[in-house]
Amino acid sequence: MSRKLVIPGELVAEGDFKLENGVYREDNKIYSSVMGLLDIRGRTIRIIPLTGKYVPKVGDFVIGIISDIEFSRWYVDINSAHSAVLNSSDYFRDIDPFQTDLSKILSLGDTIYAKVREITPRKKVYITMQEKGARIIKKGKVIEVTPTKVPRIIGRKGSMLSMIKKKTRINILVGQNGRIWLDGSPEQTDLVTKAIEMIEREAHTAGLTDRVKNMIISEREKK
Amino acid sequence: MKVGEPERLIIDGKRLDGRAFDELRPIKIEAGVLKRADGSAYLEWGGNKVMAACYGPREVHPRHLARPDSAILRCIYNMAAFSVSDRKRPGPDRRSVEISKVTREALEHVVFTHLFPRTAIDVFIEILQANAGTRCSGITAASVALADAGIPMADLVPACAAGKVGGEIVLDLNDVEDNYGEADLPVAITPKKGEVTLLQMDGNFTREEFEKAFKLAIKGCKKVHKIQKEALRKKYGGT
Repeated sequence: MSRKLVIPGELVAEGDFKLENGVYREDNKIYSSVMGLLDIRGRTIRIIPLTGKYVPKVGDFVIGIISDIEFSRWYVDINSAHSAVLNSSDYFRDIDPFQTDLSKILSLGDTIYAKVREITPRKKVYITMQEKGARIIKKGKVIEVTPTKVPRIIGRKGSMLSMIKKKTRINILVGQNGRIWLDGSPEQTDLVTKAIEMIEREAHTAGLTDRVKNMIISEREKK
Repeated sequence: MKVGEPERLIIDGKRLDGRAFDELRPIKIEAGVLKRADGSAYLEWGGNKVMAACYGPREVHPRHLARPDSAILRCIYNMAAFSVSDRKRPGPDRRSVEISKVTREALEHVVFTHLFPRTAIDVFIEILQANAGTRCSGITAASVALADAGIPMADLVPACAAGKVGGEIVLDLNDVEDNYGEADLPVAITPKKGEVTLLQMDGNFTREEFEKAFKLAIKGCKKVHKIQKEALRKKYGGT
């Protein structure tokens, strides 16, 4: 499955299409607006970006770091163009900001795994902890990768991720914003970091899952 | 006649560096050379060496500059102290502030700023070595850096100058031609629609000469555009 590489301003199609990410229409012609791979499915066109910052999407899980605290909300750095807002009611429904010091719950620099709840038309991003799976991250290590490579780290239907988990017995949480949390023994953490670096470097190649698997096995045998 | 001025700029229908009238200097562009920037490009254009870096979209500091409905584009053009034969006094001056402004306006036209309200996109252009035509080199490199950063834009922006040297209309002036020639005309375009996003003129043309130089510069821009596209293709491993 090879997709065509496109450059901003390149003509990708003509006629009646539904436009998604990375394309724009002028007259009846459709052009790309970002560097990426052209993906046409039926009558919808999008560009899979190869570079760029994380663009939040409703429903994404992200790993964020608390960057500011106000009376009834936190500001969270989510490695994107805008920092996200976590309202106190999105942390715990019955929180009373008059009675509680929010910094006692989450203080500056704390790391959370939360879900994008809403994005307003003016691109304000609201995240929530009132969601199954959302949690505060207290131990382990967070590494950063290029956000556009995250789908490759997860693999098709999570194949890559479940393989790594099975082979190393480590806790992993992948944020769509390119932050990855690893929790395990130092040796295992280093090994997985190495595997993720390899995925990031060779993201465009085929048969990657098997090669990463072999790498993990051979590294483990060395010890 | 000043010291260093050549007797003639055109000898036997050729320029001093052996180029034909409509020939560019050799251009080399490499995308994504800086690890810590969101996007970057290194460009060599004849004797010019230019590094462009792009950051963003990111939050705006100072805050009051932010626009509620779109991103702001900020460009800084800077010449290194060692970029010219007499040491250039470091820091912004009248000339670099002007070039920063025209560069911003040349690029602003294509960037989809409405997609990133309340953010800033920063572009830094460093001239490491100058040999005439640095504003065109800067715009060309900056536009590759923007594409490398994954910022949505309508088109790339190539730039190229034409001028009048020894009574002839020529493309892409070099150092000597720029200093002792009669006129210089830097142009930046959006190749797809042919819009002009930069047009400046230094010196004097007649109306006919201007038309001719303008057309020549646009031809040059289109050649530069091809090199920009190749550089991006090479970086992302496409064919």
